[in-house]
Amino acid sequence: MREPIIVLKEVSKAYGATPVLRRCSTAVAAGEVVVVCGPSGSGKSTLIKCINGLEPFQSGSITVEGVEVGAKGTDLPRLRMRIGMVFQHFELYPHMTALENVMLAQVHALRRSRSEARERGRELLDRVGLAEKADAMPANLSGGQQQRVAIARALALDPRAMLFDEPTSALDPATISEVLDVLVELAREGMTMMVVTHEMGFARRVADRVIFMDQGEIVEDSRKEAFFSNPASERAKLFLSKILFH
Amino acid sequence: MPDVISQNLPFLMRGLATTLRIAGLTAAGGTLLGLAVGIAIHLRVAVLAASLRLYIEFVRGTPLLVMLFICYFAFPALLGYRTTAEQATILGFILFIGAYIAEDVRSGLRSIKPGLVQAALATGLTHWQALGLIVIPLALRRIIPTLFNQYVRLLKFTSVASVIGVQEFTGSAMLVNARVFAPVTILAFIALTYLVLCLLLSSIGRVLHARLAV
Repeated sequence: MREPIIVLKEVSKAYGATPVLRRCSTAVAAGEVVVVCGPSGSGKSTLIKCINGLEPFQSGSITVEGVEVGAKGTDLPRLRMRIGMVFQHFELYPHMTALENVMLAQVHALRRSRSEARERGRELLDRVGLAEKADAMPANLSGGQQQRVAIARALALDPRAMLFDEPTSALDPATISEVLDVLVELAREGMTMMVVTHEMGFARRVADRVIFMDQGEIVEDSRKEAFFSNPASERAKLFLSKILFH
Repeated sequence: MPDVISQNLPFLMRGLATTLRIAGLTAAGGTLLGLAVGIAIHLRVAVLAASLRLYIEFVRGTPLLVMLFICYFAFPALLGYRTTAEQATILGFILFIGAYIAEDVRSGLRSIKPGLVQAALATGLTHWQALGLIVIPLALRRIIPTLFNQYVRLLKFTSVASVIGVQEFTGSAMLVNARVFAPVTILAFIALTYLVLCLLLSSIGRVLHARLAV
């Protein structure tokens, strides 16, 4: 197996007495596309938010390119620059244009010059098909367009891996494909990706591996072909039967 | 224009200038104070936040005129400094309006959804950068109407300063009235002037809000 970029070992987390993650272990290699699925409340989003330190966890360890996420001395801002993240509700800064959204962290976190950041920003907006929307405010963009700007914003830091937290769940069906197309293209270019999604069609198309979670546990972690043709657990079978045929 | 007004216009205008000076300085000072206090409370800076809450509760439970008396008589006596009526007025108004603006700022900050901060952090920005680049600018845009509402209140409050002898607009007008006795004309004139100024101020607020609101 290629060098893993993200490694999780026995990660557990609880809100008070309620466990949200139970001893989750997995590793994501460079260039790998891993889809994380499971019923709502199963801990998928929490799991990927632990990876860039947005959510704290109580035990176990997560390393990103060898750097311990939970360790005291870890420079989290620096670590986060190397893992892009895309959220369910886009979270574009509403007081800035699309281009300014893509430029902000380049200038203030990566310390690029404004002109350099602008150039890179335009390039990325072009790449997600929104070159002509550079000066539009988020409120004037459709959901699909906002999410593509959010993807450009994350890519602007030249991350080594990307985390997607249900990137299409808040979109109306007509615009889901425009976002998925961008994800597919990223995967083809060899980007390392962890994608929490219910889009099983997308998983079939581009995933290398599928992680199935239920009640905070990683129930299944297998090659895509194996997962879809012959899921090992009853819970995964039940989940697939519910999600695929409607 | 009635004679009583035109003959005393330079004097009345000096009073109006004082009013505008006091209102302008206290709006600026009160906004800065309110921002600082609102942000400190929002960030839950341990002991500081608790004492600032106390300050807000104190101001909200004290009449404006009492606040002025405190700044004009009590503070100088307690702390041993000299002050003019106008300086005391400015201090009193800043402390007064600052407490209300702090509450506005705090609720504005609280209205920003946490997801935006998460997004900023996820791109490698620090908590402080997220606050300075995203949360505060957004909160300020959101509270523009309430802020201007406070400025309108402030402009009218300035008339209270005449009680401690500041010759602002109302005080000057009452002096003129004492000399010429034409209360209806004079009061109509100053009331109308306040009204026009307040309308002007709130329409500036509306335009700004329309431009900047998100």
